[in-house]
Amino acid sequence: MKIPHLVFGLGLGLLSMSAQAQETIKIGIPVGLSGANSVVAPSVVQASELAVEQINAHGGVLGRELELIIADDESGAQGAQRAYDSLVFQHRVDAIVAMETSAARNAGLPIVNRGQIPYIYTSFYEGKSCSPWMHINAWVPEQQVAPIVDQFMNELGAKSFFLIGSDYAFGRGMLEFTREYVEANGGEVVGEEYLPMDGSDWTAIISQLRSANPDALITSTAGGAPNVTLTKQLRTSGVNIPYGNYAVDEGTAASMGSDAEGIYIAASYITGIDSKANAEFREALRAKFGDDTETPNELSVPQYEAILAYAMAVEQAGTTDAEPVVEALSEVTVEGPRGSITMDKQRHAPLTMYLGQIQGDGSVSVINSFENVDPGEQCPQFAE
Amino acid sequence: MGDDRTWATSRFRRAFIGSLIGLAVVAIAPFFLDIYLTSILIRTLFLAAVVMTVDIIWGWVGILTFGQSAFFGIGAYACGLVFTHYGFGPGWALGALAIGLIAAALVAGATGWLAFFHGSSPLYASIMTLALPIILTQVIFSAGTFTGSSSGLSGFPTYYWSLEVWLWIAGVFLVLTTAGGWLLVRSDFGRVMIAIRENELRCAYLGIPVSRIKTALMIAAAIVTAAAGFGYAAFSNVVAPELAGFQLGTEFLIWTALGGRGTLFGPVVAAIGIETTSSWLSGTLPFLWQLLIGVVFVTVIVLLPRGFAPLCTGLWRYVRPKSRPFVLERTLALDSDSRLGQRASIDTPPLLIEQLSRRYGSLHVLTDVTMTARASQLLGIIGPNGAGKTTLMRCISDGNERSDGMVKINGNDIGRASPHKVVEHGVGRSFQNTSLFDSLTIAECLMLARYRLDGAQLFRNKTNLALSQPALDILSATGLDQRLTEQTKNLSHGMKRGLELAMVLASEPSVLLLDEPTAGLTHAERAVIGKVLSRLTREYALCIVLIEHDLDFVREISDRVVVLHQGEILMEGSVDEVVSSELVKSVYAGHQVEAAE
Amino acid sequence: MAVLALDILTTAGILFVVSSGLLIILGVMKLINFAHGAFLTVGGYTAYSVSAAGYSPWLSIPAAAIFGFVGGLVVERLIVRPLYDRPLDAILATWGLGIVIGQLITLGFGRGVQFVPTPLAGTTELLGVDYSAYRLVVAIVAVLLVIAMSALLKLTRFGLNARAVIMDETLARGLGIDSTRVRAWTFGIGAALACAAGALITPLLSVDPNMGLPWLVNSFMLVLISGVSFPSLFVASLILGGAQVVVSTYANPILGGMTIVVIAALVLRINPKGFSRG
Repeated sequence: MKIPHLVFGLGLGLLSMSAQAQETIKIGIPVGLSGANSVVAPSVVQASELAVEQINAHGGVLGRELELIIADDESGAQGAQRAYDSLVFQHRVDAIVAMETSAARNAGLPIVNRGQIPYIYTSFYEGKSCSPWMHINAWVPEQQVAPIVDQFMNELGAKSFFLIGSDYAFGRGMLEFTREYVEANGGEVVGEEYLPMDGSDWTAIISQLRSANPDALITSTAGGAPNVTLTKQLRTSGVNIPYGNYAVDEGTAASMGSDAEGIYIAASYITGIDSKANAEFREALRAKFGDDTETPNELSVPQYEAILAYAMAVEQAGTTDAEPVVEALSEVTVEGPRGSITMDKQRHAPLTMYLGQIQGDGSVSVINSFENVDPGEQCPQFAE
Repeated sequence: MGDDRTWATSRFRRAFIGSLIGLAVVAIAPFFLDIYLTSILIRTLFLAAVVMTVDIIWGWVGILTFGQSAFFGIGAYACGLVFTHYGFGPGWALGALAIGLIAAALVAGATGWLAFFHGSSPLYASIMTLALPIILTQVIFSAGTFTGSSSGLSGFPTYYWSLEVWLWIAGVFLVLTTAGGWLLVRSDFGRVMIAIRENELRCAYLGIPVSRIKTALMIAAAIVTAAAGFGYAAFSNVVAPELAGFQLGTEFLIWTALGGRGTLFGPVVAAIGIETTSSWLSGTLPFLWQLLIGVVFVTVIVLLPRGFAPLCTGLWRYVRPKSRPFVLERTLALDSDSRLGQRASIDTPPLLIEQLSRRYGSLHVLTDVTMTARASQLLGIIGPNGAGKTTLMRCISDGNERSDGMVKINGNDIGRASPHKVVEHGVGRSFQNTSLFDSLTIAECLMLARYRLDGAQLFRNKTNLALSQPALDILSATGLDQRLTEQTKNLSHGMKRGLELAMVLASEPSVLLLDEPTAGLTHAERAVIGKVLSRLTREYALCIVLIEHDLDFVREISDRVVVLHQGEILMEGSVDEVVSSELVKSVYAGHQVEAAE
Repeated sequence: MAVLALDILTTAGILFVVSSGLLIILGVMKLINFAHGAFLTVGGYTAYSVSAAGYSPWLSIPAAAIFGFVGGLVVERLIVRPLYDRPLDAILATWGLGIVIGQLITLGFGRGVQFVPTPLAGTTELLGVDYSAYRLVVAIVAVLLVIAMSALLKLTRFGLNARAVIMDETLARGLGIDSTRVRAWTFGIGAALACAAGALITPLLSVDPNMGLPWLVNSFMLVLISGVSFPSLFVASLILGGAQVVVSTYANPILGGMTIVVIAALVLRINPKGFSRG
């Protein structure tokens, strides 16, 4: 495992510096402790705490310990403004590492601009969000769509697709990209329908789906309730065509039981990734939190890796000053549970993507993996 | 008249001094606050201005609105959309602000049209205001990249002034709008707002265009709110659907309720206090904080309907028992231009009813009533309980009441006009029960009755009330003229009856509909009223239609009598004819009326 | 066409079931219960608890009804009764209650989505199409509920008293009817219906602390438009639910989501009595 080695190396380097107690380096973590993201927030907090503990155990960064400051963004814009104000102006954090909704990220960015600090966004999203202070280490549509669509077209022979989404930025962004990708590869989209985010009655859409009689179905709903209601109603209506779902995670799949069986998912992290780094990460998590351990997931693992990336960038820059650290963030490579990741593509990161299928017992079996899938043109203004 | 000016000046002076203190606090605040509190406060001050408008709409006029956030969102999105997609600069900023205010005003006008009309229930109006932000949010979501959907818009160019400047902008905005709101609610028009809250129906029958006033206030509040939303978005550099969502709309209500509705300052203080506190606390206790707010809110609604503000003022009174709320003195005067009775003419009968019917489902309350009432005539309507007398009054004064037939007032067909329109044709109506406007004073009630003729000043108060001679007569005969600053809830039953009649006369009708004006009065009081009524017909040529149970009273003052029985006119004639009629006797004795066939 | 007809029928059934608890409270007590959404949610969690404890999912509906009835009586006594003469405040207080219930559920069960097994999975063939069996069950329940509630109001002592209170409360009191008790019972029955509805629709949905909220506004519109009668609520559900399905199918589901609110608002503007009379 590379991280401890690396951190250990940093620690050695620090011995030359005076070991006097210095002010900590503060990392702000705005996260949805309440609201829609509160389901996943505990795992994100645990991943952050583990990262900081590991780094501090090896002497911290530049001889200074890392300190986490966690603030509730209430999963929305207004809460995010309060959280960012508090982190940036009250606690004067040196950087922000955030797994948040897009609305919360957008609300926080102007405050980050005012405060001028490095910012790493760790949630997958609809793409093309750019700020001079921001890096992103999670996937965008360009990386997520291809594995599923390719599988459906090449392996299962699907030609016609039906797309269903929740009416919000992520849902629309994903499906629009999917449509383009399907059509560019010679397939056909026979329907693209959206329901309001809080909608729970998919009757009319399912009837349209059945009458369109497509070869495959791809959905991109909001996580949680809409995803579950759609899947349940699809199953009670007897829809059994190949079904790719952009929003289901392993935890949800496990609790949905037989309804989720057969669903295809694509992800940059699956608990079953067979690597030493992943095994050690999961072991460390369990050692630290015991029975309270939250299952690591697609959102918590990037958070863990982002904190490591920040530590390395500070080390490389030799300072916590924003501009050199931001510059270094595009260069450092983290060897984490998801493999080796560098945010060098217009502030985004090429990622290894896994195509999985949910089994009857709720577990995910990996069907295929795709090395270093490129995020494509996200922020051309930051192109090297 | 000089009196008028000094008082008005003193009111404006108070508003001016209050504003100056507020502005001074805002001016020095940035130098005592850290950067964190300052930026929290900037947003909170914009929200507080919105809460102030919610208090005016709900606390003063009584419309429970969940929809104020929609206007906030409209203002915010006007800023975000224009700066993101079209351009940025002083011209663009002013244009975007104008677009936001106009859009908010139009939406408020449409909502008002939908929610407020004669006969709409407050529940219905509330649900309409609830639907507004829900639909608006849906529209924002579905507009895709134009509105940024769920993610909103962020990072658009805006004025990156220093935090001090933004705090001054937000503070000045709050102080000025609150000062405006304070002048409004303390003005004569503010009395009209309270009257609508306390007894909307009675206002309509005094000729006050209730629905139009409500809509106008909605529009005004929407404009202030949209301006606040614009400022909020321009400062925070972000717009998101939740700024227009009904969650925020209900939060406005919660702050208003906790601060004390109808106190104006209470909600403003509550908004600032709760918003800043929740910034501190929600991070440490995310779910408990919400729970706590919910529990306190329910408790306050059930046990402290006026919120926490009255507790504070109560404490103040306890400390300074001498400081009493200021009540405006008003003086009465004779209205030399009174048009009371001038409309009466011999040729067109003031009141003409043809084949009027009223059915409730299969129940026929009135059937084919045809009658005429003339000027200078006092027409008594008698009949046993349930004969349809009060329903007839209602059908005359509200065009929507009758099922069939025609009513003409002074030659004008009332059609389906709502009560305040019928009042314009010259109808004045008094009611059987004496529910007036409890918290208004006698002078204010009289002013209210003159609304149709004199209007009400928006930010000022008028101190002299010009009334017609008969109205003045009633006031002096009942002693009301000595107690003009008394709240009506403290009056005796007789005085309330007297005030009721004086109010109807103050509105200068030509057709006077009186529903048992002497019920529950002493003999002496009855005599006074009888005298006034006789004089109104003789000297002012009024047409009076009177419902009475007391046959003796009817006999004393009526010129002509109509007997209603089971919804039909049983008999019509002079007092003596009717009183001596066997038919009428038998009806009153409860006999079957087969003889009528 | 058969699918469309079944969609309309079952959508109307769900809407009716979800709104009926609101209707009886509005009818008798002249107040809108803003905690209705929270009651639906409570029903959903009751169903979750029942099936998590290993009992048959069918049992969850009567369990939710009983739980709702008792809870409704308590809420009525503590919050609603002091506010009889302040109907707008009752709206706010019940809304606040909804917040409190939502937070309590979140504290107790967490913010996440819970799963309730479907008692009747799969499809059944009807009118020549395969159709979701459980949705058909809900539609049948709705029809039975119309009959049962009409019978309750027409044939029982409680119904007679309730109708007297609806028509003229002062008069009813004069006739010796204990209107306070009628109201308490009404609120209990309304809450029971809401919780049972929550349990009934759960197999089609997910259980989470906000599951009741999206139904709230459509329910308000339906009951405002249908006065106090259960048959007219059914008609309203059929017409407006039908409009929603048609718009969702032939235009788009986002417009479909607004259909009920918009149509109901316009109907009420033109005729404030809605469908209840002419």
